[in-house]
Amino acid sequence: MKIVIAGAGDVGFHLAQLLESENQDITLIDTNDEVLEHANKHLDVLTVKGDAASIVVLDNAEVQRAQLFLAVTTSEKTNLLSALLAKKMGASQTVARVSNAEYLDPIQLKGFQEMGIDNLFSPTLLAAQEVDRLLQRCSFTDVFDFEDGKISIIGITIDRDSPLVNRSMKEIDKTTPDFLMKAIALLRSGITIIPNKDMVLKSGDHLYLMTKKEYIDQVTDFVGKSIQKVKKVMIAGGSPLALPVARILEENYKVTLIEQNNESCKRLVEQLHETLVIKGNPSNLDLLKEEGLEGMDAFISLTPNSETNIITSLMAKEAGLFKTIALVDNAVYTHVSQNIGVDTIINKKVIAANNIFRFVRKGKIEAITSLHGVNAEVIEFVVHKSNQLTKKPIGKLHFPKQALIAGIVRGDEVFIPDGDFQLQIQDKVIVLAMPEAIGKMESLFQ
Amino acid sequence: MIHLDTISNVIGAILVFVGSLMLGVLPFCIYFESGDALPILYSGVITMSVGAILWWYKFRVKERVGKRDGYLIVTLAWLALSIVSMLPYLFSGVLPNLYDAFFESVSGLTTTGASVLTDIEVVPKGILFWRSLTQWIGGMGIIVLTVAILPLLGIGGVELFVAEAPGPTSDKIHPRIRETAKKLWLIYVLLTGILTVALYVFGMSFYDAINHSLTTMATGGFSTKNASIAYYDTPAIQYTILIFMFLAGTNYTVIYFGLKGRLKKVWSSDEFKTYVILVLGLILLTTSYLTFALDMPFERAFRDSGFQVVSVITTTGFVSADYTSWAPWLTMLFFMLLFVGACAGSTSGGIKLIRHLVFFKNSILEFKRLLHPKAMIRIKIDKQIVAPRILTHVLVFLLIYLITFLLGSLVMIFILEDFENPFLSAIGAVATSLGNVGPAIGQLSPVDNFAQVPAAGKWFLSFLMLLGRLELFTILILFTPYFWKRN
Repeated sequence: MKIVIAGAGDVGFHLAQLLESENQDITLIDTNDEVLEHANKHLDVLTVKGDAASIVVLDNAEVQRAQLFLAVTTSEKTNLLSALLAKKMGASQTVARVSNAEYLDPIQLKGFQEMGIDNLFSPTLLAAQEVDRLLQRCSFTDVFDFEDGKISIIGITIDRDSPLVNRSMKEIDKTTPDFLMKAIALLRSGITIIPNKDMVLKSGDHLYLMTKKEYIDQVTDFVGKSIQKVKKVMIAGGSPLALPVARILEENYKVTLIEQNNESCKRLVEQLHETLVIKGNPSNLDLLKEEGLEGMDAFISLTPNSETNIITSLMAKEAGLFKTIALVDNAVYTHVSQNIGVDTIINKKVIAANNIFRFVRKGKIEAITSLHGVNAEVIEFVVHKSNQLTKKPIGKLHFPKQALIAGIVRGDEVFIPDGDFQLQIQDKVIVLAMPEAIGKMESLFQ
Repeated sequence: MIHLDTISNVIGAILVFVGSLMLGVLPFCIYFESGDALPILYSGVITMSVGAILWWYKFRVKERVGKRDGYLIVTLAWLALSIVSMLPYLFSGVLPNLYDAFFESVSGLTTTGASVLTDIEVVPKGILFWRSLTQWIGGMGIIVLTVAILPLLGIGGVELFVAEAPGPTSDKIHPRIRETAKKLWLIYVLLTGILTVALYVFGMSFYDAINHSLTTMATGGFSTKNASIAYYDTPAIQYTILIFMFLAGTNYTVIYFGLKGRLKKVWSSDEFKTYVILVLGLILLTTSYLTFALDMPFERAFRDSGFQVVSVITTTGFVSADYTSWAPWLTMLFFMLLFVGACAGSTSGGIKLIRHLVFFKNSILEFKRLLHPKAMIRIKIDKQIVAPRILTHVLVFLLIYLITFLLGSLVMIFILEDFENPFLSAIGAVATSLGNVGPAIGQLSPVDNFAQVPAAGKWFLSFLMLLGRLELFTILILFTPYFWKRN
């Protein structure tokens, strides 16, 4: 498949990286020599220099042959225009990144689709929705739902005092007969492991569990996390992400937002109707305490600076807050900060790239999700027709070692399969796969 | 710079227009053979002639009406209008005294609806119709009407528009001020027409129906009956008038969007929401008191309280029951309502809800500011930040209104010292005049009238009515030194 990506910045590069590992033909367009050089060095892609909203440049990139055109530059207008041009020139699918979340309203989106842009996405809005989702299930670091919550995958950090410490997978499986739960991935010192039965959990491990939505409360209890409902939220920093986050959160929570810049404060006050906007330094602990930090349930650090976000989140954790979320754009910090106590990391470009990646694969598979910091994807496949999958039990299907069948949804029922499980047509199979196994799994289910 | 020629030109045009309206009353005089055709003819001809002289004195299309010209034109226009519209009362001998005729004329034009006529039903039909028509003209505003019809105001129309219908914010429903004015008048005429038909269908004579719809839509309150609306003790008529009074108190921009079917926009208006909730709340409160404490039948209690609440809050001043006879606390409640007013951009007078809304929201936020000294807290109406300048303007307006009321009451108590209860009557009269409502309390309750007020009091109240109709600033600015200084 030929894919043209306009914009080789953070999102574009990350996307190219994801798609490249799938052996796609990728052409990157950017005006900046440096980023193109960087891409050439690190990725097996073709680069074209120039303005993506120019017909000549698009022609150079052979957009007319592209099955997919992704416009992800930082300029909304360039993205919209180049996506329109690409469509007119013959690209089969176009996606554009926008900063104005209002474009995603169904009415507006329909207008863009009629003009030729198949899909729009806004990294800030996606990240904001992610924050909202995380607060709803705030005992976990991640929550992903498949098939309307028939299967949920949750991420937890194993604390020192967790009842799971020093217990093996086998023991854990034995003690949970009354509800569905299965460990599917483990992140230990930055390495992703698909756990086997004899593996023993250590404090500091990051564990991903599969369960059903209705059992989430029981699972929470089982892993030693408390079930707490978030009511009051403090947001530190007024980065562009803070506005959509506050706008979504103020509908359900009492939100206090702290921002230093006078102009940003004015803009925030104008657009937010319930949120209390405080003008002050978000890393000033005294100010945070004055504004009721200790009474808050969650603390979201969204300054433009990753380091500040990590530090303020730690301060909030120290002050006894139950849930902290930090915006960390630098992927290198991800593992470290989770190890030292920041509950959850938001990485805008990863969220955005994953989202488009999902869109790219749509059709072949039902859904796909990347787990934070874990070098693996959770993919949902459907058994379409009867082939070897439906003839032999799972144990004899020769699935790659780097993949694991987490669960199977059949109608309304959910199964955790063992080796003797027999797949049927229309089964929805949730698979956790390391990158090298994704292609193999795909061809198995084709 | 004040352009006298511009002022004379515009006022002349307005007078010619009003004179022609006056002549429009003649068919009624002739049809009813009421014997007042001649006085009205004279008044009309005099008005038109004076207007024509002023107009032709410097007849040319104006380049621009400045801010000062705007305020001066509006004030002088209203003064001139008050003078000419009292001519029919004087000439016909209905009100032979200058102060009585002027009071009635101002009370009509400002849509106050307080009357010095002791027996309305004996007044010739033509004069009575003119009396109702003055309210209708004054309701939407003569300037707005002139802007809508005559092309003479060119680009300066906005200044006049703002000076006559001040309000804290003015929302246009059309990019051109003239088109906006035309649309407003169209809605006004349309609603008046519908109401006339409805009242006629429900049993009023055609003459009474048209008179009452003119004064209802203007939120004026002049009636052709001594007993006001209490004369028509049929639920259909009273409920119809109640509903149209309510509509007349609604912001015309909101009605415009309502007629266009954009209901989301209607309900997104904070002022309209407040209006609906406040009116319903007051009706509920009053009805339950009348039903349970005074043992009134429910329907009677509901109709009377609803009618009185809407009549006072929209500053109409129609009466279907005497609220001062219910209970002392209800008298106080209705006295307070004299200070409320309905929506800005309607024909109602008074302080108007938008100002109260800004004031109360800001006061509540002040407490929040005390608790969060570092927070940036801005007051919002319709999800938009209220600019600090507008906020100041509203607060200053409220204070000046309050001070005007207090000083006015002081003067009025002095004037009414022979009254049995000068205090109550005076504060009621001042509040009702400033708010352009009509009925007051004390000896000037809904069932009394203003004939008993001494001449000085009538002049003074007339001044207060004009002051209230033009929302204080337009007239008061003429008394500031800044206005008369060059530049």
